Amino acid sequence: MVEPEIEDKRITLEEAVKKIPDGSGLFWGGFGYQRAPIALSHELVRQRKRNLTIYTCGSEVDLEIMAGAGVASRYEIAFSAIEALGLSNNIRRRVSEGKLLVEDYTNLAMALRFLGGSLNVPFMPLRSMMGTDMAKLSRYRGIDNKLRVIDCPFTGSKICLVPSVNPDFSIVHVQRVDMSGNAQIDGIIGEDIEGSRCGKKLIVLAEEIIDEKDVRSHPDQTKIPAMYVDYIVELPYAAHPMMCQNYYDYDLEHLMLFHKATKTEETWQEYLDEYIIGVQNHEEYLKLIGDERLKELRAKEPWGY
Amino acid sequence: MTKYTKTEFLIACASRHVKDGENVFGGTGMPLLAALLAKETHAPGSNLISEAGFIDAQPREVPLSVADTRYYYGCSAAIGLIETLGFLLQGGRIDVGFLGAAQIDEYGNLNTSYIGPYDHPKVKLPGSGGGNDIASSAKRLIIMMAHDKRKFVKQLDYMTSPGYLEGPGSREKWNLVGGGPQVVITDMCQFDFDPDTCKIRLLSVHPGYSVADVLDNVMFDLIVPDNVPTTEEPSQEQIDIMHKLDPKGIYLGKGG
Repeated sequence: MVEPEIEDKRITLEEAVKKIPDGSGLFWGGFGYQRAPIALSHELVRQRKRNLTIYTCGSEVDLEIMAGAGVASRYEIAFSAIEALGLSNNIRRRVSEGKLLVEDYTNLAMALRFLGGSLNVPFMPLRSMMGTDMAKLSRYRGIDNKLRVIDCPFTGSKICLVPSVNPDFSIVHVQRVDMSGNAQIDGIIGEDIEGSRCGKKLIVLAEEIIDEKDVRSHPDQTKIPAMYVDYIVELPYAAHPMMCQNYYDYDLEHLMLFHKATKTEETWQEYLDEYIIGVQNHEEYLKLIGDERLKELRAKEPWGY
Repeated sequence: MTKYTKTEFLIACASRHVKDGENVFGGTGMPLLAALLAKETHAPGSNLISEAGFIDAQPREVPLSVADTRYYYGCSAAIGLIETLGFLLQGGRIDVGFLGAAQIDEYGNLNTSYIGPYDHPKVKLPGSGGGNDIASSAKRLIIMMAHDKRKFVKQLDYMTSPGYLEGPGSREKWNLVGGGPQVVITDMCQFDFDPDTCKIRLLSVHPGYSVADVLDNVMFDLIVPDNVPTTEEPSQEQIDIMHKLDPKGIYLGKGG
């Protein structure tokens, strides 16, 4: 038997972000505190990207960073806040200044927009948003392009249609991946099954690179098969200060520091200078957080945090 | 008499609305503790679900996020959002959803999106998240809010989630799956909804408050029945269990 040559899709974080032109649309993976691609948002800021559109159900610290640093100008999302801590202060300021436009959907609506994009169909039906301002008001798509409420052609009853999305890139952060791109996700997947398949290119960030034989001995763990994946970035602690199941817990101290810093423009700029622009790369950011602290956050068996 | 804090009172009050065997979206914060308390007391067969994908959760520590790994260990399935908000919720399988809001109107419609005009919002709030999905499709809603007159308004700045919309027949017109709000719990009182008009109605006032206090603190006409009882106080057992569920006082606060 001839051994096929395995394509090595590994690139650095800097190289991955260089591939994303200004004005791109990105599906943004992770859900709430779980598997947020924070390190990639840092690098987008360091490379001074502009006018990105972010598509996701809900995200927290990363959406704050991209709004606060002026990297993203449009969000099509359902939710932004720092759960348990409070409002997204940067987003609140940028919306009031008119520098960030947010098109509001629900979590299910966004997940179905990604599913529609993945299935190569133009829209998906759902039973949310009808009767409310979500179905009447649009920030920039125009209401007819945001959604349509129609009479179902089969039953005649009201149904809401949302347009599918195929963004330029999907960004997904996972626990493990092999060199060719078979990606394993532990715990909940949020909307990352649909989200990883809807983008024109898929960049996978992984805590760890594993052998192909470890994938082939546990194939049910593969949530994203290699054929979808274009680039892989090995990036330990990519979600800090958020969490990654079976790898590390959230860093509540840093999260509180972050949320406090976003309260005024001045303190936000200080945070940006110290933790994002002031470091060369992700490794330097981790040095700033400190080995001691990162060790404390390591997940413990059997809890996974 | 049992001593309790306001937070403990509200959690005990909310937990009584969860029935045994029900499928519940608990979220985080006070609603999560209310759902967990119900499971530990009168509703052992209730099924706590987080919209991020955790099903039948029994967290040993309270989660800060609906996607917190603390939800994972001990749950019976960890899947994803189309499972929970799609197959379960839109499929008509969720009995109870908990929601909070920055504003509510007399039909129980909720705003969690914007304060001020939509064209020039003064404050951008978190948005719907799964809130509108839950309000559209859960069989009933339990709403928990801080009681501030400016939150109980005649006209919402933005309607994020449906209560009874414009009144009788509105939810049916839009073919919504769920039944709408059942109860609103504030730090002053409980409201329910008049079945004929779908309008909010005073259900009970908490100890230390009067009907007049409530009337002074809403900006719409409120239906007040002839007999308004005092809300039941928490038992010592309920308070003890709450503190076992949240020993670090993450949601209950330090010192109790």
